[in-house]
Amino acid sequence: MSAPLPELLAADGATGAPPVRPRARGLARDLRIWLPAGFLVLLAAACFLWPLVYPVPKPTGGSILSSGLPPLSRGHIFGTDPVGNDIFSRILHGGQVSFEVGFGVTAIGLVIGGLLGMAAGYWGGAADAVIMRVLDIAIAFPALVLALAVAEGLGPSELHVIWALSFFSVPAFGRVARGATIALRDRTFMLAARLSGTRGPRVIRRHVIPNIAPQLLTFSLLGVGVAMILEGALSFLGLGIPLPEPSWGSMIAYGQQTISASPDLVLIPSAFLFATVLSLNVLGDALRERWANPIGQSR
Amino acid sequence: MTLAIAGARGLAGRRLLAAIPVLWGVTFLTFVVMNLLPGDAAQELLGANATPAEVHQLEIKLHLNQPFWVRYGHWLGGLFHGDLGNSLASGQNVSAVLGQRLPVTAELLLYAFVASILLAVGLAVLAARRPNGPADRLSMVASMTGLSIAPYVLALILVYIFAVRLGWFPAIGYVALTQNPGANLRSLTLPAAAIGFPLFSVYTRLLRADIVEQLQREDYIVTARAKGVAPWRILLRHALPNSLFGLITLVALNLGTLVGAVAIIEPIFSLPGVGAILIQSITNHDVPVVEGIVVVFAVVVVLANLLADVLYAVLDPRIRYERSAS
Repeated sequence: MSAPLPELLAADGATGAPPVRPRARGLARDLRIWLPAGFLVLLAAACFLWPLVYPVPKPTGGSILSSGLPPLSRGHIFGTDPVGNDIFSRILHGGQVSFEVGFGVTAIGLVIGGLLGMAAGYWGGAADAVIMRVLDIAIAFPALVLALAVAEGLGPSELHVIWALSFFSVPAFGRVARGATIALRDRTFMLAARLSGTRGPRVIRRHVIPNIAPQLLTFSLLGVGVAMILEGALSFLGLGIPLPEPSWGSMIAYGQQTISASPDLVLIPSAFLFATVLSLNVLGDALRERWANPIGQSR
Repeated sequence: MTLAIAGARGLAGRRLLAAIPVLWGVTFLTFVVMNLLPGDAAQELLGANATPAEVHQLEIKLHLNQPFWVRYGHWLGGLFHGDLGNSLASGQNVSAVLGQRLPVTAELLLYAFVASILLAVGLAVLAARRPNGPADRLSMVASMTGLSIAPYVLALILVYIFAVRLGWFPAIGYVALTQNPGANLRSLTLPAAAIGFPLFSVYTRLLRADIVEQLQREDYIVTARAKGVAPWRILLRHALPNSLFGLITLVALNLGTLVGAVAIIEPIFSLPGVGAILIQSITNHDVPVVEGIVVVFAVVVVLANLLADVLYAVLDPRIRYERSAS
């Protein structure tokens, strides 16, 4: 409500031409989107669907008789762990956990943090000051301490891990959403909407959300990767998904004890975690470049 | 010049005042979280077999039976006298615990930061010199890898390659600096690499993008080129200093999040820093120790942000004059 006209004109004049950046040529650019996206879809499908349609050994309760088999053993393509569980099956089931935690944490951050950030950025004033102070505290506060305390207090379970990790995602999304909203606030169409008497919530729904959505979505992809890594960190500290249920992080942590004898117990889940997060990051990067034109212009 | 110093001092004062509510919020939030969660310290300390009477006795001894506000007030009062209280688990003074363990963590973080910043500046300059050249491609691959790898995965892979296979560095353990400086650096190299490589990736990415933008879009670069300044000099004396603002901001912000990395990496290498004891204290509900560590890191973050502001003024005369004028 506080944007005086001259400032507004200056702001619109300043956006100017889009930054000159050499664009990757057609196929290379498309590959950077389709390759990681295809990998992620395939991996998610494998994790969630494969155990349903194709018989794989159970991820838990393996037989001690078939323990410690090396990769490429008969019937156990990735081998077995020291208690005889099939590693391939644990990778698939652990992948379910990683995807659920990654997307769950990001969704919570996107909704709560996004709404807080947009409200702070749009209305400014006291609401902004309060929300920003809270986010300042969240920045100065080591979120892992909070997440650990919550995970420890509530007891280890997948749902609790999601709640605990939301302490990371909510402030991060809040900051991004606030910044993007402030950048929009002084644009002409926003002023037009306000002058024609459109109420705040409707402006946010019709003008703010569609315009900041690309930015928030690319940020979400990075957020999913971070959440997957943090889930592993909690598992690593024994406060994540409880054993014997598999998660990539707990498999890595468990393999740590025998790393000199059988490094594959660490390397296999690490490779899956790395490939997944790498795909998310490359995809996020490629999409951001594609959507890099100034918000609201010729899209 | 005196005006500039006075201006900077006023700015520092205002920043410190603004930091007080943030610091207070951090300690309060920690206290609330640690106290509201289920589970209690006395039971945790005595083990599951303790009788209720024993638990009650210990609670009285540790003042755990007092209401929340009394305990927090007591702790906060102590803080103003520089007293961080005593550990519930060991009875040791928290300041003494920190005094013992902080130097290890501080050295580890310093090592990781200095190495990652120096390498990042070097690689970013080389990469920005010729966009899409070999150095630029290397920087992109390196930074994407660092962004995508979990620090604990990196730590384990480093241990496997450099400790188990090659035996160049010890897998675990810590040698004090005073005891043997060479062995001290060797014992910290792998953990510092595990913490530093992801930082290096983020810094390289950011700095490279900023330098490229300066080189492409700024008039003073055109002027420098037109009057025949050597390309290296343009890069190092003109573009680089003007590109450092984003990096400084990010480094200052990063410091706070590193307590998490420390908490995971230190135990992997059995380093006697604050990381291991932080995890243990959270599990034990040892509130004073957790509070002590959180306060130290929060103060470091506040000071780092303050330092960042000072550095902005050092790098940019405009900021210096504007502030001294107002």
